[in-house]
Amino acid sequence: MTDIFTETSTPRYRLTRARRLIRTLVRRITPKRIGLRNRILLIFVAGALILSIVLASITYSFTRANLVEQRINTETNQALTNARRAQNDLILSPEEIALALDQAGNTHKLIFMQGQWSASSPQFLQDMIPDVLLERVQNQGRAALMIVDTPKGEAMIVGIPLPRVDALYFEFDNMREVRAALQSLQLALLIATVITTMVGVSLGLFASRRAVRPLANAAQAARAIADGRLETRLEPTDDPDMQALTSAFNDMVNTLQQRVERDARFTSDVSHELRSPLMTLAASVQVMESRRDELPERSQAALDLLSSDVLRFQGLVEDLLEISRFDAGAIRLVLEPLSLYEFMKQAVSVSSIPRTEIVCDDVDALVAIRGDKRRLARVIANLIDNARIHSGGKPKVVIQRAHNDEPPTHVWIIVEDDGDGLIEGEFDHIFERFSRGGAAGRRAGTEGAGLGLALAREHVALHRGRIWATNRTDGIRGARFIVELPIEIPTTTDESSA
Amino acid sequence: MTVGIRVLAVEDDERIRASVKLALEDEGWMVDEAASGEEAITLFGTHPADVVLIDIMLPGIDGFELCRTIRKSSNVPIVMVTARADTHDVVAGLEAGADDYLTKPFAPKELAARIRALLRRVRPSQPGHPKLIFGNLEIIPDEGKVLLDNHEVELTKTEFRLLCELANDPGGVFSRELLLDKVWGYGYFGDGRLVDVHIRRLRMKVEVDPANPAHVVTVRGLGYRLQS
Repeated sequence: MTDIFTETSTPRYRLTRARRLIRTLVRRITPKRIGLRNRILLIFVAGALILSIVLASITYSFTRANLVEQRINTETNQALTNARRAQNDLILSPEEIALALDQAGNTHKLIFMQGQWSASSPQFLQDMIPDVLLERVQNQGRAALMIVDTPKGEAMIVGIPLPRVDALYFEFDNMREVRAALQSLQLALLIATVITTMVGVSLGLFASRRAVRPLANAAQAARAIADGRLETRLEPTDDPDMQALTSAFNDMVNTLQQRVERDARFTSDVSHELRSPLMTLAASVQVMESRRDELPERSQAALDLLSSDVLRFQGLVEDLLEISRFDAGAIRLVLEPLSLYEFMKQAVSVSSIPRTEIVCDDVDALVAIRGDKRRLARVIANLIDNARIHSGGKPKVVIQRAHNDEPPTHVWIIVEDDGDGLIEGEFDHIFERFSRGGAAGRRAGTEGAGLGLALAREHVALHRGRIWATNRTDGIRGARFIVELPIEIPTTTDESSA
Repeated sequence: MTVGIRVLAVEDDERIRASVKLALEDEGWMVDEAASGEEAITLFGTHPADVVLIDIMLPGIDGFELCRTIRKSSNVPIVMVTARADTHDVVAGLEAGADDYLTKPFAPKELAARIRALLRRVRPSQPGHPKLIFGNLEIIPDEGKVLLDNHEVELTKTEFRLLCELANDPGGVFSRELLLDKVWGYGYFGDGRLVDVHIRRLRMKVEVDPANPAHVVTVRGLGYRLQS
């Protein structure tokens, strides 16, 4: 009976093959393209799968072995009893083979007696008995048991010699109960495997998300810092693996912040220091100007140069201060709702060309915006100054609704001139600090320091708007600056007290 | 009208002080100089000025403190000089009692214009109305007096002019822009916070419960109104 279980090695072989397959699979799809998260997830899922398959296989083989063994014991005992009874029957009445077969319960039986086979049912005939078994029972005269493969699955045949009547007794058991039990077990194990794998998936998702969270936080912090929120830090953690990253990251931001602040402070300090002498200069020049008539002609000319440059100097210092505030992130807008048309009228009236024409053909563009009126007026004034300096002609202001803006959320303020226009490729460049553009030569060194447009861009951005430049497209030569600002949506809660 | 004005300029930078003095003297005014808050307090005690110009950044006691000290004994108009317009400094200075502010560097002409606006007299009240009565609040424009529950209330000159402007059209709504123009002489680009802080200061004085004003009321989105 020792040769019965030779086929149990098959699942183990299958297992090693599966493991090898997964390993190859993992190796094949892991190259750099798989992210950390997916990698963790994959490891969890594969781990859960492998573990559950191993456990299921072990459980299955043990249970199967147990069940089969039990069944063999039972069947052997029963067959021995049946055989003994059949032998007794045959001793009493050797002709009544059918009776002997019938008596012995409901299993399928075969009796070989006097060169003849007698079967209890057509489902078990002599050709189903393997030669090995027959040989052993017939020639060696020993009882034997064998597991055979039938079309319906495994079955068991017990052969017992009946020496007293010189016959052989065979009993067939199709092991239906064992098979049924094993099938239920297979199903249960399959379900268990699926559940375990799914648990593995969810654990993997959870773990991968957790594992990646510090990285996501770091990425978010880095983005915030890039956006200028230099005070952003990663929260300190007790995780020893993450501590290194966190502290290195925070150290880096500290250094960066210090450098940025030092640069901004330097500009700010310089400008602040310049203000006091400027104040003295401006006041003194004013005193001299009120006595201009008393001065000789050459002194008058010198005074005119002096006073115009004091003004220019003042503008430059103001611009530098404002820029340093931007760099330090220290601008606080004084926001209020503004009627766009009224604001534009006022802004133009305090610019260097107070008579600049304002055109608005679209009633819908006469909206309210929300802004810091003094800063926005500087934007308009800077654009008008820029137009005046570069074109020498008359700039024009157009108010219209933003293109492709449905529902209306933005409005365009366009400042056009009829100068030489911009050089292709400089549309962005001109918004850089101290950029003098291709037209620098024409500026004749009288105006501006090249900060006007840079400031305009910063101011507009603070108002959550955009500014850009193109050339005119209406057939007239000239540059076109477009300021796009969000429309103020009226709310019931007005934060100001009036 | 503005001839013979005496200005006390408190500024620690000697050169600025000298140049501002020169420029204001061109206007025909008299200028006292003080290099520190302590000096200013002493000087103001002996030679009361018509207008005080205070730089917020002072060594020793700072501009805010100086403002408060002067306010305790006088309702003289105070113009403060700040470094920036968008900081908390402006509101803090106004809360401390300043009437208006300028940012450095300013043109002396601008300073003169501000001072002239602050020294403007109250517009004559309607003839036959020497007293304006709003419930328990009584305004006597010609005497520059305000009574709350028959007790005299000390208002600064600017607060008084603000109250009188509101009283000139009882129940009428005044926008911030209008008040900025009438009281401070500012155009469109005036700073609305001037009005807001002064209204707040005014309420502290003429309201029984400043948190729930009965007289100086806010008309949401429009401005302010004076009512009984």
